[in-house]
Amino acid sequence: MPPRYTDDGTRMKMDHRWIARAGATLFAFALLYPFTALFARIGAWQWGGDIRGPAVSSIRVSLLLTSCAMLIIVAVGTPVAAYIAHCRIRERLLWQAVLLIPILLPPLALGILLSLAFGPYGAVGTFLERFGIEMTNSATAFVSTQVYVGMGYYVLGAVAAFDAVPQTLQKQAALLGLTPWRVFVRVTLPLSRLGLAVALSIAWVRAFGEFGAVVITAYYPSGMPVQLWVNLQSFGLPAVMPLLVVFLAVALPLPWLVHVLAQRRRHA
Amino acid sequence: MLKAHIVKKRREMKVDVSLELRRGDALGLFGASGAGKSTVLACIAGIDEPDDGFVNLGNLQLFPPSLPLHRRPLGYLTQEPGLFPHLTVAENVRFGISKAAAADGEQNEWIETLRDRLHLGPLWSAPASRISGGQARRVSLARMLARKPPLVLLDEPFAGLDRRLVRELIEDLIYWSQTMGFSMIAVDHQAEILKRLCPRQAIVLEHGTIVQQGPWDELYGAPATPLLRSLLAPI
Repeated sequence: MPPRYTDDGTRMKMDHRWIARAGATLFAFALLYPFTALFARIGAWQWGGDIRGPAVSSIRVSLLLTSCAMLIIVAVGTPVAAYIAHCRIRERLLWQAVLLIPILLPPLALGILLSLAFGPYGAVGTFLERFGIEMTNSATAFVSTQVYVGMGYYVLGAVAAFDAVPQTLQKQAALLGLTPWRVFVRVTLPLSRLGLAVALSIAWVRAFGEFGAVVITAYYPSGMPVQLWVNLQSFGLPAVMPLLVVFLAVALPLPWLVHVLAQRRRHA
Repeated sequence: MLKAHIVKKRREMKVDVSLELRRGDALGLFGASGAGKSTVLACIAGIDEPDDGFVNLGNLQLFPPSLPLHRRPLGYLTQEPGLFPHLTVAENVRFGISKAAAADGEQNEWIETLRDRLHLGPLWSAPASRISGGQARRVSLARMLARKPPLVLLDEPFAGLDRRLVRELIEDLIYWSQTMGFSMIAVDHQAEILKRLCPRQAIVLEHGTIVQQGPWDELYGAPATPLLRSLLAPI
């Protein structure tokens, strides 16, 4: 096709953005296609009292306990990630392998290992029981399982976020008289916040939706994924769909808000 | 004031340089690209660690052992302005000032003097990520001077700037060095810049070692090596 020209004779640039946008839209449709199953003919959705009560309780459990798990993950994972980001390559690879192990395991296998290691027959479990801390079917078990499930995702993401902060800026800050801790607070953290937000939201999504490990270690108190399973077993698909919609409504806003805040600050 | 002997092995050569600088002096480190000038400066600044030797600044031993960067009373300006993009120009300039010092009236006056002298007033509240390259150099100069360092290290801070801007920045640096009395080591591969900044003494490096040192007249009059003769020849 011959090139096209505008009235003043300059060659028109073809705008390829619409092609990219069409491709992205197609991608989004493909990604969200499974959700069309929400409209499948499975009979009237059930949200009666015997379903609503446990469902509301599971929402409370998931929100509260996953938030606790996230606090622990951020409090422990951030300094660990900062340390790894400053390690030499060999030590860093070792740490990254350590972090990958719990992520690589099938969740069910991780749940079995956790219940054996922290349960009444494990050394730690026996020790904690002396202080009245139950490590199976308890809030502690729920939170600790989520910590194990989400920690690797957060730390690996946080290391990448810290790596993206130019070393020259951190050294410049130190040469301006800031101690390593103050360099971290005033330069490294603010400049890595978008990456940290992404890492946190991935850890949240992963932990919030965790089923395989949690169903072994903490069937009670039931979080939303376990409750979905209970509904499926007890009442069938019509009782699953409404809880699935609620699950999306509850799980999505927090990680999304984290992204919004990080992006807004970045472009402020 | 500054006494240093720096030994640093590089893949292609070994840098081995001794230098001495008195209070208020300005020393130019001259040589072709890759001669080891920046390595010497980075070792004094603490960005890089020498393999051997020593670096003493007055009574303070910078190396060995390597003194942490935040305890080194020096300013270091490089080709990259290194501004903190998440902060405004004002926040960048005040970055190295402690909270206690920031409350001091004299300190604030000093910051205002820097702001006015370096024409930063109109940019003062602007995000550092949105200013031009030339403006960024002026901000990084103000940020460095805000802490009143006794020693200033300049590693080709004028690279990529137009001649007018280079001239302005050099005038500013000369003015501040005379006003504040700091010592200065400047690195550049352009002799005319170094001659203006450090008119009295220069050290010439080739392949990591000193091949000549002295006043610029001597260097121009009797260059010690063919490479130096070629570097000093007009284009």
